[in-house]
Amino acid sequence: MNQPLVRGALLGALLTPAAAVTAGDADIDALRAELDAMRSQYEGRIRALESRLSDAEQAAEVARQAAGADALSLPMTAPRVLRSQGQATGQVPAGSRSAGLFDAVTSGTAFNPQISVILDGNYYQDDTEDGNGAALVGEAFQAGGGYGHDHDHGADGHAHADGGHAHAVAEPGFNLRSAELYFSATVDPYFDAASYITVSGDGDVTLEEAYFQTRSLPYGLRVKGGKFLSDFGYINNQHPHQWDFVDQNLPYLNLLGFHGIQDTGVQLTWLPELPVYTLLGAEALQGDQEVFGATLGETEQTELNLGDTDSGPRLFTAFAKVAPELGRNHALQIGVSYAHATQHQAMETHTHMVETHADEHAHEEDHAHEDEHAHEEEHAHEDGHADEHMHVHTDGITEELHETGLAGDADLWGIDLVYKYDAPGAYGQGDFTFQSEYLRSSKDLTIRSSAHPERIGSNRTYTTDGLYAQATYGFLPKWKAGLRYDILGLTNKVSGGRSESFGSSDRWTANVTWNLSEFSQLRAQYAYNDILVGEDEHGEEREQFSAFYLQFLMSLGSHGAHEF
Amino acid sequence: MKRWMMGVAAWLLLATPVLALDVVATSPSMGALVRAVAPSAQLTVLAGPDRDLHALQAKPSMIRALRGADLLVAVGAELEMGWLPAASASAANPDILPGREGYFEAAAQVPLLDVGGPADRAMGDVHPAGNPHVDLDPVRMAQVAEALGARMARLDPGNAASYRANARRFAETVEQRLPQWQAELAGAPGAVLYHRDAVYLLERFDVPLLGTIEPVPGVPPSGRDLRALAGKLSGRDGVIIHAPHHSPKGPRKLGRELGWPVEPLPLSPPVNADGDGYLQHIDRWVSAIAGA
Repeated sequence: MNQPLVRGALLGALLTPAAAVTAGDADIDALRAELDAMRSQYEGRIRALESRLSDAEQAAEVARQAAGADALSLPMTAPRVLRSQGQATGQVPAGSRSAGLFDAVTSGTAFNPQISVILDGNYYQDDTEDGNGAALVGEAFQAGGGYGHDHDHGADGHAHADGGHAHAVAEPGFNLRSAELYFSATVDPYFDAASYITVSGDGDVTLEEAYFQTRSLPYGLRVKGGKFLSDFGYINNQHPHQWDFVDQNLPYLNLLGFHGIQDTGVQLTWLPELPVYTLLGAEALQGDQEVFGATLGETEQTELNLGDTDSGPRLFTAFAKVAPELGRNHALQIGVSYAHATQHQAMETHTHMVETHADEHAHEEDHAHEDEHAHEEEHAHEDGHADEHMHVHTDGITEELHETGLAGDADLWGIDLVYKYDAPGAYGQGDFTFQSEYLRSSKDLTIRSSAHPERIGSNRTYTTDGLYAQATYGFLPKWKAGLRYDILGLTNKVSGGRSESFGSSDRWTANVTWNLSEFSQLRAQYAYNDILVGEDEHGEEREQFSAFYLQFLMSLGSHGAHEF
Repeated sequence: MKRWMMGVAAWLLLATPVLALDVVATSPSMGALVRAVAPSAQLTVLAGPDRDLHALQAKPSMIRALRGADLLVAVGAELEMGWLPAASASAANPDILPGREGYFEAAAQVPLLDVGGPADRAMGDVHPAGNPHVDLDPVRMAQVAEALGARMARLDPGNAASYRANARRFAETVEQRLPQWQAELAGAPGAVLYHRDAVYLLERFDVPLLGTIEPVPGVPPSGRDLRALAGKLSGRDGVIIHAPHHSPKGPRKLGRELGWPVEPLPLSPPVNADGDGYLQHIDRWVSAIAGA
């Protein structure tokens, strides 16, 4: 039959005991080791019992003293950490898995999530005429406009009505920016989850983040899903209380909005096992953005012939971060990020001042805003554009508001660099950080509707970039000084069917932060702003002003761990 | 026949991991323990002895080290909580997360001091789970070493006997050294610490803790705090010890007023210390306290 197999089996059967005999010495060694282990186990246990006994005596003594000294001084006592015998000695019979052996000793949350609340308030003053400096820095002039929602252009600087969304724009005087509620927990062996909810001073509640993240995928992969701050760039995934300055830098604030890329979707990151830290990631996001990849409301979409909002996801990002090994006390990280919005819609408005006296002559015009000029014609549109508004002034001058609808897609590039030095000094003394990012946003749009029908179909590419560089230094224990320069619009231009280049806005900011403890911060900040508000053929309109903040940050509840 | 033997050899090779354990230790004390138990392990120590383990920040280099680690050895009891949870979560390495075999916490292996107490931050940065600084007590560290040996034996069964034997040897050395330390510290007048970071050592050798420079954990002293402490301790003998990451101003001022020696001593041995290095580190502390 199957001769070789039978022979093999027989051979195996014969050799097995022989192998066992030759392994006799090894067995004796193993037994000896086991005996040693048992002995050490018992010794360990006795030691542990002795020390537990002494601890118990001590605890009793402490309790007695406490009770005697001040019976009222024990408002709340965390549960005593209980450890099994096996855990105390660290010896557990091989093969058994007693729960808790591999766990961390913590103050114990008994299945409650870690909760912290961060209070963020300030006192603000600036020397603008209307005290609207904090709003102006977020409306620095950029080609193609910033906010995509029906933004209240210029008419009233105070009205910050971008889609009715509550924004933490400081007004002169006292502001409570937010109370931020943070909950996080490990859901099960497979997921961590967290949620951040901010309640503004006016009581508006915003769900900033609510996401899960995997914890047990192999090969260095992690998946995040839900609503979260994108890992595009560096500062994008930080909440305002983590910033080194009270306010967001100009490029992020103007090219991405107050919240940055905060969207709903999924993220995949890969941390390959390499000798140098390298993180690669990509995200697919719904695209509900305020600035980058913004879409307009339904009424405007119809009026301006822009078409409906595409179904999501409409925003895609990819990023890579690399950190060379610089020893224990230095850290440097360099990142490159890219984002693509498959749909971007914008509306541009410009006003014509037209004299409409009966004895009509060459009319005077005034463009309150940028673009689309060269007017020979009298703007009497027989084609009945819905996007035309007329206001007849008492002096017989008609103000015509022309709206141009544009649609297309948008790209965003980012480069970031962060360096941190951890000094040996007490409470952050001597610590130094440097952080810089460059953002370049480019919107490739086509005119879909215009008061000037010949322009429909014409292409407009709007490019605006920006840069910030900031450094902080711990000049005393618990005291930190910061300096920031940020600029928007190194390139600030429109190209395509029309070519024009605009100026830039920039700002110098200096601040001092006092970390009284790990849980509280007080900060004073001064900034000199030079903001380009508008630009047309008559020249630039600028606001130059100083702005001053006093800020407090209070952290209640559990110790947060901050990522790099 | 020959092919059969080769098969067995190949099986043995596959069964016993040829690679040494990849271990990440948060502090040099934990690193010293790892070297004592597993001299051949590939070890990365995340923090130097002159840095405050409680105030460290997560860095990409830490995440990289944790990415491929088989075992993470932490002091634990919330000492590293400001950075280690963030770093180990970012490392995308499920094996070293708390609750897994690859996560080892020294504080979870031994009984802790300062357990309980009010969870009230008016009392400073308190940790009701217990004082985490177990690494300055050589006896507790011997227990931790044996637990670590057992853990490494589970992770790398091929070298189990060696891990256990090394841990035993370390524990025996500590036992041998104990009488000498006890003799040196017998009748020591006591010490003022900056922070309650050496209470395990003081308690082990029955040396009185005369006070702390910081009035409550994590809060630096005011002039009034120092004057009160000086008033309480005037006329007594003792030594003032502070870690290099603490501001030396307060300790020096108190030292001048009381006429006591001021010793800046790191909480951990040098980064490259092994078991012997750790014992020498205890020697330094013992002679500093005895020198009062």
